[in-house]
Amino acid sequence: MYAQQSSLEFTFTKNKVLIKKDKLPEGRIVIFKGEISEDKLDSSTPILGKTIKAQEGTLFTPVVPFGWNQKYTLVYNHIIEYFKLTIPENYEPLSVTKIYPSATILPSNLLKLYIQFSKPINTTSIYNHIRFINHAGDTLSKTILPLENPLISDDKTVLTLWIEPGRQKRGLKPNQQLGPVFNKETYRLIVTKNIKDNNGVSMQKDFIHPFSIGDTDRIKPTIDDWKIDIPKTNSTSKLLIRCNESMDYGSVRDNIYIVDSSMQEIKGTWQLLEQETILSFQPIELWKNGYYQILCNPEIEDLAGNNLNRLFDKEIKNTSNNQSNHQKYSLGFTIN
Amino acid sequence: MKTLITLIIAFILSLFASNAKANSLLKINFKTGNPGITSIHKMTFGPEGILFIGDSNAAQIVAIDLSEHPKLDNSKVKLDQLDKLIADMMGTTIDQIQITDMVVNPQNDNIYLSINHSSGVPILLRVENNVLKQVPLDNVSYSKTTLLNPVTEEAKDRRGRKLRKWAVADIKYIEGKVLLSGLSNQEFASTFRSIDFPFSEKQDYSSLEIYHAAHGKYETHAPIKAFIPTSINGNLHLVAGYTCTPLVVFPMNEIKSGEHNKGRTVAELGSGNSPVDMIEIESEGNRYLLIANSNRPLMKMDFKDLEAYEGSLTTPVVKKGAAVGVDYVNLPFVNVQQLDKLGDSFLIVQRESNGNLALKTGNSWWVK
Repeated sequence: MYAQQSSLEFTFTKNKVLIKKDKLPEGRIVIFKGEISEDKLDSSTPILGKTIKAQEGTLFTPVVPFGWNQKYTLVYNHIIEYFKLTIPENYEPLSVTKIYPSATILPSNLLKLYIQFSKPINTTSIYNHIRFINHAGDTLSKTILPLENPLISDDKTVLTLWIEPGRQKRGLKPNQQLGPVFNKETYRLIVTKNIKDNNGVSMQKDFIHPFSIGDTDRIKPTIDDWKIDIPKTNSTSKLLIRCNESMDYGSVRDNIYIVDSSMQEIKGTWQLLEQETILSFQPIELWKNGYYQILCNPEIEDLAGNNLNRLFDKEIKNTSNNQSNHQKYSLGFTIN
Repeated sequence: MKTLITLIIAFILSLFASNAKANSLLKINFKTGNPGITSIHKMTFGPEGILFIGDSNAAQIVAIDLSEHPKLDNSKVKLDQLDKLIADMMGTTIDQIQITDMVVNPQNDNIYLSINHSSGVPILLRVENNVLKQVPLDNVSYSKTTLLNPVTEEAKDRRGRKLRKWAVADIKYIEGKVLLSGLSNQEFASTFRSIDFPFSEKQDYSSLEIYHAAHGKYETHAPIKAFIPTSINGNLHLVAGYTCTPLVVFPMNEIKSGEHNKGRTVAELGSGNSPVDMIEIESEGNRYLLIANSNRPLMKMDFKDLEAYEGSLTTPVVKKGAAVGVDYVNLPFVNVQQLDKLGDSFLIVQRESNGNLALKTGNSWWVK
């Protein structure tokens, strides 16, 4: 027999339920998802967690945090209680804070897109919440490479999307059958409000990002064409590298650095400015007079996946010796 | 007589002792504690109950010792509404969980499911008497190695390094090596890794290129979605499945570290599809390759046909959605999301036509 809605003294947060010490004999805390009536308890599955005896009472820790607005049933010493965590009034809802590339006109063979969220997201079924809509209002199909393990940053806020490479690369079957993903027209990227943060709370409204498609980009980025704004000595002013085109946000961030004449890396912060056409570097310490090199790994890409070494859909001319090239590219400058 | 019996017992015990000693070599670097697993994306069993976990979030492979779980008879296993059951066990909703993999320990037929919850907590579950039980991961015997690229290692103290990701697509163990395929968000490339086990500093990287039958003109660097190491005509090969869906074989002895390796495309299994899982089943002297797919039924290919096929598909498939190359048959299992070998049969997680997500065995009749 269970006693329902008794005066069991307990508190709960997202990560624990505490039953304060009282005259009841010590027991195990069992918790179920939902409001479960007494007759259905035996056929219900209790949630995973640990019950321990703490100084302040009996403590239950769930394996995963309790969800907002989710009802739970607590059973302790034949007493049934129900509880629910309501979303705090000041809860800051999830939002999209930035899209890379940020340019309004993108190449038709665009390969990657990054969505920056305001807080960690739930990546389960993530691709169901992201779509492209054309000028006529139709949703495009087969636009994003669906991965079982979505490429999300360590802090779970930046999602990398591959624009279906099989369609963006010439000659592949999807490209031949469906054509490239984009034509030369205007589109909207939609992140639907159903997307949730890692607390299971949705966005408040759809995020809409309009953009246009321009020409195809089949030219490798060439660092010899980049222009450097050399910073002043004894300052921490920014070094600016003006590229002739928007660069890929993800591949630049990880593949460029500056060394001094003794090949010691200069510590500082990189930023991509002006629709990612300018790579900006601000050192932590003052610039000193001397010779510096900007070193680039070949993996730096433009928006169409062409890197410093090769085009994304290079034509096969000689396949006998096609090893990847790990050479570094460098640009030198002197501060006087 | 008594002395003889004692000698026999001593001999048997010494065999066990030497066996245990040999076994311990693989676990020589194992320590007990919390391995710090942050996500479970792909799993595979090696010998001696060692489970290898591909943890993409922490860019690591963790080997944990699960040999203490008792041998089970799971031949009649059936769990309905698996997604709801798991969500209920976590006190959450179905859209907050992802069943990332399912594996069977071939030594004791224990079934394991890996789950990632939106809060970032990874869970390992084990099936016992048709009931799911949690396998705690905070105090286990383990060994682990990093998957960070040499490039990243070299630059690990630089700022703004958090975006680089390498998602494990598949993981397998063979003859002292953990093999991995995956995709990074850096380059659309088919990086393949071979890591010595017990783990050491050494990791081999290579790039496995294919000739996609549907295109002759441009290179393909598509990543491998699923693979198995196996014997073809007596030699160790890698059978790899790619998106859209070429099946490619690579002789293992020709895969050289740091090099670009070209495979032989032996089948095109139809466009608009992606392989999900791949296993090898041996039954009554015959070997079969089973392939679960995202948009095709479960396929069965006879290794005799695979071994007899000496060609390489290099011309485009003209007929839309058609399959060419090595013959296969479609088995009556669609929407198979997870696949592994169980005894002489197979185990699947299948979204049935009525919407039920079921963990169940396939009938061994299909692979006889």
